[in-house]
Amino acid sequence: MSHPPAFGIMAEFTEGDALTGAVRAARAAGWTRLEAYSPYPLPEAAEALGVSAAPVGYIALAAGAVGAAISAGAAWYVSVHLYPVNVGGRPPNAWPVFMPTTYLVGILWACAAALIGMLTLNRLPRLNHPAFFARGFNRATEDRFFLFLSVEDPLYEADEASHFLRSLSPLRVTEVRST
Amino acid sequence: MSDITVPVAEAALRPGAWSFRLSVAACAMGIIVLAASVAAVLVWGVGVWGNNIPHVWGFDLIAYAWWIGIANAASLFASILVLRRHGLRTAVNRFAEAAALAAILAAGFYPILHLGRAWLFYWTLSYPSYTGLWPQFGSALVWDFWGIMSHIIVTSLFWYIGLIPDLATMRDRAAMAGRTTLARAYGLLALGWRGSVAHWHRHQAAYRMVAALVLPLLLWAQTVVALEFATTVVPAWHQARLPLHVIVTGLPSGLGIVLALAAVLRVALSLERFIDDKDMDLLGQLVACAALAAGLAYAHELLVGFLEEDPTTRAALAARVLGDGATAYWGAVLLVALLPQLLWSATLRRHALATVPIGLLAAAGVWLDRWSIVVDGLLRPHLPSMSRGYSPSLAEWGLLGGTIALFGLVLLLFGRVIPAVSMYETRHEESEAEAEEEER
Repeated sequence: MSHPPAFGIMAEFTEGDALTGAVRAARAAGWTRLEAYSPYPLPEAAEALGVSAAPVGYIALAAGAVGAAISAGAAWYVSVHLYPVNVGGRPPNAWPVFMPTTYLVGILWACAAALIGMLTLNRLPRLNHPAFFARGFNRATEDRFFLFLSVEDPLYEADEASHFLRSLSPLRVTEVRST
Repeated sequence: MSDITVPVAEAALRPGAWSFRLSVAACAMGIIVLAASVAAVLVWGVGVWGNNIPHVWGFDLIAYAWWIGIANAASLFASILVLRRHGLRTAVNRFAEAAALAAILAAGFYPILHLGRAWLFYWTLSYPSYTGLWPQFGSALVWDFWGIMSHIIVTSLFWYIGLIPDLATMRDRAAMAGRTTLARAYGLLALGWRGSVAHWHRHQAAYRMVAALVLPLLLWAQTVVALEFATTVVPAWHQARLPLHVIVTGLPSGLGIVLALAAVLRVALSLERFIDDKDMDLLGQLVACAALAAGLAYAHELLVGFLEEDPTTRAALAARVLGDGATAYWGAVLLVALLPQLLWSATLRRHALATVPIGLLAAAGVWLDRWSIVVDGLLRPHLPSMSRGYSPSLAEWGLLGGTIALFGLVLLLFGRVIPAVSMYETRHEESEAEAEEEER
């Protein structure tokens, strides 16, 4: 065999609505290991894929709370234990003046966590992906829409997958190989 | 739909025209001036500046507050557009974010240099050292350190998150054009983005999350500077209205810069289709509205100052408004509040020859306002002191000019290597517009 094994099969569409419809049809047909590609956000297709964006928010909020707590705790420990300074008899634990840094560090952690959390959930960054071997895939960042069925799907059978994708009337269907 | 991607991507990929090279050369000369001015402070100390008691804050704080005002207004604008999913975001968001980032980079010079021993700036960090000395969290200097650092990082993140998908487009365009090295550079920065629908979903959540978090940060960044003034006992500064005044009058500077940039970019990068007349109308009206708000802030200042306050405050305000400070004060009122009112005229706001000067002059006017607060606020200090007055030195002018050149250079380079208009937002919006037409 000179051919490397296939990663899966890719269908190309020209319209976002066609891709959303194709994702719904594939989910209805029982496909589980599928990925859809679009040059702009398609919330409906994401919903059809069963993806929730909520974890990004939870990660950001949790990180913001942790960052704020660390900042407030550090300010308290430094001011009360490590280096207490008596300024006109004011108590060392003057918590209101710790709030500005607490607030700022909380926001800083939440923002950084939003980016890092989003990338982690998306399993990015990565140097390569089978989808990039698909024919004409460089237009996925421009004006084309793709649906990918992976060989790892229990339903996968080369001819059947191809037949199923062709039934969705795509522009073209190609097998994805690392050549 | 590739007619969206091509002109924007090509604007970044084609070789620079002579006007671009000339602008870069001019800014590069300004960077030399900046380097010399920074070196002068580092070698000889802050004595090369005109600051002296009672004028401890001269150009350094004027310029810092000014740059932060520009950054804030530009970020505020960008984040509100993202949160509201406003149509204008496609046209101006990207470079409003870039302008905010460049302005913060310029602002960052001042607080570090005004420390005197700039190389010891890390003393404001809490870290265990052999001296056993720890920073005091009640100090405004420590707040400033965290404030500026958070501001720089969060603004960069906001800009970068929105940029990731467009960097992937640039990667694929550069690869198609056969420019492998460039494609690899864009590819590394795009982090392997492949446009997966699931990824988009989480990306949009993260982008909007950061946009929402930018808002409370901005209010803080500008008020902390104003609070540092308000907590002193100098009559002209010791006012609860100062944080609000600084935020409101700061808006025309950042929005004016965004307006001027929009007018320049649409011509220079031939992006008239993306930044169309309707976008310029909205932007122009927004600047005029911000100027109106600034006008109200000035009216409030005069009314409250002259009608209600005690004689000491009245004398301090009179010195700023009617005495030696009158030129700066009324110059600020004219440029910030009155001149932008011309933008209510539809013909004027569509002409780059009108919008560019009005936008830049609004920013210059805000600089005069900061001068009026920082320098002329001390015309009547709380103690009769032997004030020598304040006149900026060459090193201070060099620093101001140098940071403006840095701002220009950063924006020029952004305009060259990064799509100046958010391509995916434009695609998204046009597809929605098409869908709406079909429904009709």
